[in-house]
Amino acid sequence: MLRRLALLVCLLTLAPCVPAQEDGTFGTRLAACAACHGKRGEGVQGAEYYPHLAGKPAGYLFEQLKGFRDGRRVSTQMAWYVRFADGAFLQQIADYYASLPPRTRGADTGAAQLTEERRRVAQNLVEHGDPAHDVPACSACHGANLAGLEPGVPALLGLPVDYVIAQFGAWREGVRNGAPPDCMHDVAGKIPADDIRAIAVYLSQQSNVDGVRPSPPGSFVPPRACGSLPHAQEAK
Amino acid sequence: MRALRIASLIAVPLLLAALAIGFFLFERQGGFAPYRVPKDSGRVVANDAQTLQRGEYLARIGDCAACHTTSGGAPWVGGRGFATGYGMIYSSNLSSDREHGIGAWSVDEFAHAMRHGVSRRGPLYPVFPYEHFATLDEADIDALYAYLRSLPASANVPPANRLDFPASSRSALVLWRMLHYRPQAQSPAAAREDRGRYLVDGLGHCAMCHSTREANGALAVDGYLAGGRIPGSGWYAPSLDAKQLQRYSVEQLADYLRAGASDHGAAYGPMAEVTYRSLQFLNEEDAVAMARYLKNVPRRPARKTEFTLLPDPPRQQAVAGNGAEIYRQACADCHGKDGEGKVGQYPALRDAVAATAPDPINAVRIVLYGGFAAATAHNPQPYSMPPFVQQLNPGEIAAVTNYVRETFGGQRSQLTAADVEAMHGIVLD
Repeated sequence: MLRRLALLVCLLTLAPCVPAQEDGTFGTRLAACAACHGKRGEGVQGAEYYPHLAGKPAGYLFEQLKGFRDGRRVSTQMAWYVRFADGAFLQQIADYYASLPPRTRGADTGAAQLTEERRRVAQNLVEHGDPAHDVPACSACHGANLAGLEPGVPALLGLPVDYVIAQFGAWREGVRNGAPPDCMHDVAGKIPADDIRAIAVYLSQQSNVDGVRPSPPGSFVPPRACGSLPHAQEAK
Repeated sequence: MRALRIASLIAVPLLLAALAIGFFLFERQGGFAPYRVPKDSGRVVANDAQTLQRGEYLARIGDCAACHTTSGGAPWVGGRGFATGYGMIYSSNLSSDREHGIGAWSVDEFAHAMRHGVSRRGPLYPVFPYEHFATLDEADIDALYAYLRSLPASANVPPANRLDFPASSRSALVLWRMLHYRPQAQSPAAAREDRGRYLVDGLGHCAMCHSTREANGALAVDGYLAGGRIPGSGWYAPSLDAKQLQRYSVEQLADYLRAGASDHGAAYGPMAEVTYRSLQFLNEEDAVAMARYLKNVPRRPARKTEFTLLPDPPRQQAVAGNGAEIYRQACADCHGKDGEGKVGQYPALRDAVAATAPDPINAVRIVLYGGFAAATAHNPQPYSMPPFVQQLNPGEIAAVTNYVRETFGGQRSQLTAADVEAMHGIVLD
């Protein structure tokens, strides 16, 4: 309870939330994570796939770590590292990366540039969605600045193109599963493959230059119920 | 006519000899007794809270749920696959379902399966460690039975085994038992006198991985806790004996059993799973008893086993770079320039299992993919080893692994880039 309160306070003040149990060595325990995600979760130089973690909401990161451990999200590599970890340690890892400053630059390796027309399509989907096909705007849940929403919606800025495309594929094919109702599974199935690529390239080129942290909980109401995001479900 | 008589003169004694040998082998595996699955004697087992708690503790120490549960699946309902030299064997449903689990079993039938490896389904495959469970005393078997009966019923049907002939036939198991099964090789009474031995040889069934195996996957008698490649998993389980464990004090070894990490090394792969699912729950007294026993196991004479990572390793593909130099750049920061490690953080490599084991497979795996020690109550924030698969090429990994094994373990492994390439890919099970 006390820890939750402390977390809430630091979220509200937008201060970096260093886990209470951090004795200065916690990051050094995560050498295995750093190899792909960067020493401070900012991503490694030239990463073509591995996402950055720093500053993403702790609730989101914790949900993903548990998903890798329990098989809801399939990645042999990630399962190898987390499968013998109890919830307490996974929560600390999530809190640690959430407390670090977000990455400020776009993805290092962009795919081919988008044509002006494809760029317009992508930007339109990101900002307005496709109401005719029941596709909400990315920004409706991930924030107008795409910096995410505490405690469960991640930022979308500067992620590697292949990573984002792979996630859409995983949601569609059921190898990345959120708790039902699985909102991203529903959304991913309604966007044509071509547009997914355009969205991924567009998002990879966005950077969070000011290091904006995810919006505080309740600062806006996502339009979709998501099982992994109790706050969104409550809003529904 | 005469030829026939001579033939029968030879054939009859041969036949008689074969019968005698067959009879001898059949008697040695226990005669007919193991195949007579007992009827319900009506014996009732206590299932008070204390017995159930005891049963749950024993089930954890026996690591029963690890095998009888799939990754991420409902516990105790079976279905985890085991790769053997003969094909895949899937664990059974141990829930209290009367049809699909063991809910209809009497305690007599349960005890019989535990001690003799035969149930109403016939002889059980020896991936089920009945040879070890045979030493369990009745009170412990009763408590386990009571606990398993308290589990919720599940109608889960595990996949059918996929085995090659003749292993696919349960009657072939009788032949296997004649050749390799020696019931009561250790008398339960002798085992019980030593709590540590009772746990190591009985419920703990440590020998299933840590003993040397011989033909047909059988545990070699003279290979008791002498170490070996774990069938189907691609990891080497080190020998457990006085010499191997001399760098641990009894207390350190007891702590290691429960924590899965120590200044002398951390458990990865199958042993990390054993720590996570089983040994972290050991009470201190039992952990100390196991450690004390293991530290007194006499070392078996080393067998001449040639461990290779490739069936026919091509030797022309050499290593790349200088192992000592790669070590200095990539490893020494954490493990120290003389492999001494950092107390409380990074294990020493000097005399570590990965360095001293005759089989280089663990060393290659851990350099390639790293890993986390298990996160448990006794080691809540484990350190991790980073993967080097992206940073070093296979030739460099071969060079640095050879360097570490020779310098800190006295093992001259001649790994090449091809050996390392053959190990690419994470093995989860």
